Amino acid sequence: MADSAATADVVSATGSTEGGFLLSTLQSMVNWCRKNSVWPLPLGLSCCGIEFMATACSRYDMSRFGMEVARFSPRQADLLLVAGTLTYKMAQVMTRLYDQMAEPRWVIAMGACASSGGMFRSYPVVQGIDEFIPVDFYIPGCPPRPDAVLNCLLQLQKKIERDRSYRLALDAGDAPVAKGGLVAVSGRGEMAAPALAQAADRYVEGARPKAGVETGTPPVRQR
Amino acid sequence: MSSIGYTNDAPPTVKTAVAYALSALGARWCDYAATGAAPRFRATPAALLEKARWVEAFATLKKEHGFDLLLDHSAVDYPDRTPRFTVVAVVENSTTHDVLLLKTRVADGEACPSLTPLFRSADWAERETYDMFGIPFEGHPELTRIYMPQDYDGWPLRKDFPMEGHLKFRD
Ligand code: SF4
Repeated sequence: MADSAATADVVSATGSTEGGFLLSTLQSMVNWCRKNSVWPLPLGLSCCGIEFMATACSRYDMSRFGMEVARFSPRQADLLLVAGTLTYKMAQVMTRLYDQMAEPRWVIAMGACASSGGMFRSYPVVQGIDEFIPVDFYIPGCPPRPDAVLNCLLQLQKKIERDRSYRLALDAGDAPVAKGGLVAVSGRGEMAAPALAQAADRYVEGARPKAGVETGTPPVRQR
Repeated sequence: MSSIGYTNDAPPTVKTAVAYALSALGARWCDYAATGAAPRFRATPAALLEKARWVEAFATLKKEHGFDLLLDHSAVDYPDRTPRFTVVAVVENSTTHDVLLLKTRVADGEACPSLTPLFRSADWAERETYDMFGIPFEGHPELTRIYMPQDYDGWPLRKDFPMEGHLKFRD
């Protein structure tokens, strides 16, 4: 328990560290585990992918934050890191990868291209990956320096630490549906039929508002 | 747009047998001298063919004159011309390294005969031309889009396609 924020929630019941036990909330324990073992799925589409490799390599060393296990299967990944220029043809692949990732999952749009299409304002290039999937963080830069990527990953850890969704998922009175994951069918855990996530499912607190969607009441996220 | 003049006489760089064979198929040769272009510019001899004679001309060139390498195959969109598109193909004689550029004109929606039965390398080039200009190629074994998603709407390299792409996919 070297982490300051997690230990703030933790109480040593005996006053001694040996042979004792710790009290905490399940939420902060889960968050602590999650944030220190974020496994990224790097979707390196062009030059930004090279910069991500630098971030992962020894000079900048992402593994200091428990993120070195880059997974190339979406089913084992927590973080979709879209690094590069996304074309409409590749967007179909990206949404499929996103739909295959188990909850909880996070998305980072790395670089100008992934955030807004960058300099490619033309027919094949998606003008920002948030046309298709919700994005937690946008990293500016063309390409962003590894420092900026690391900063973003630390911000992501803070975001995970603040997460309070675990409690909501526990009081599953009305059969929560995690899209593409487990569904509680009359009390038993079973695999849900692959369901296409709706716009409301993809809404993420703090995501950039989309043109054409009325602001005011955000769409209710189904649990 | 200053258009190129056409003559019935082949440029001197074209071999007599080739010039004779193409002229027999009704080819008209581009006269770049009429445009006042510098002589080194556009040195490739170019000829305009009727669409009906398109495949026949390439077959003759390949089988009888050794033009066995298709270098390039594409199209140009001239929205103000009546047959709107000009389909362009460049062939090379791989022994003598003579290069010939042939073109033909097709209207919007009209099919162009495919060169794929003659040159395997025409396959993807014609799919690309189809993808970008919407010119169907008659006799192509599998004419589908090659770059854009299959459900993409529109032909991106046509002059009337919006520069920034259309916003169909966007909110
Ligand atoms: S943002 Fe710049 S560096 Fe990154 S993928 Fe786009 S063009 Fe390449």
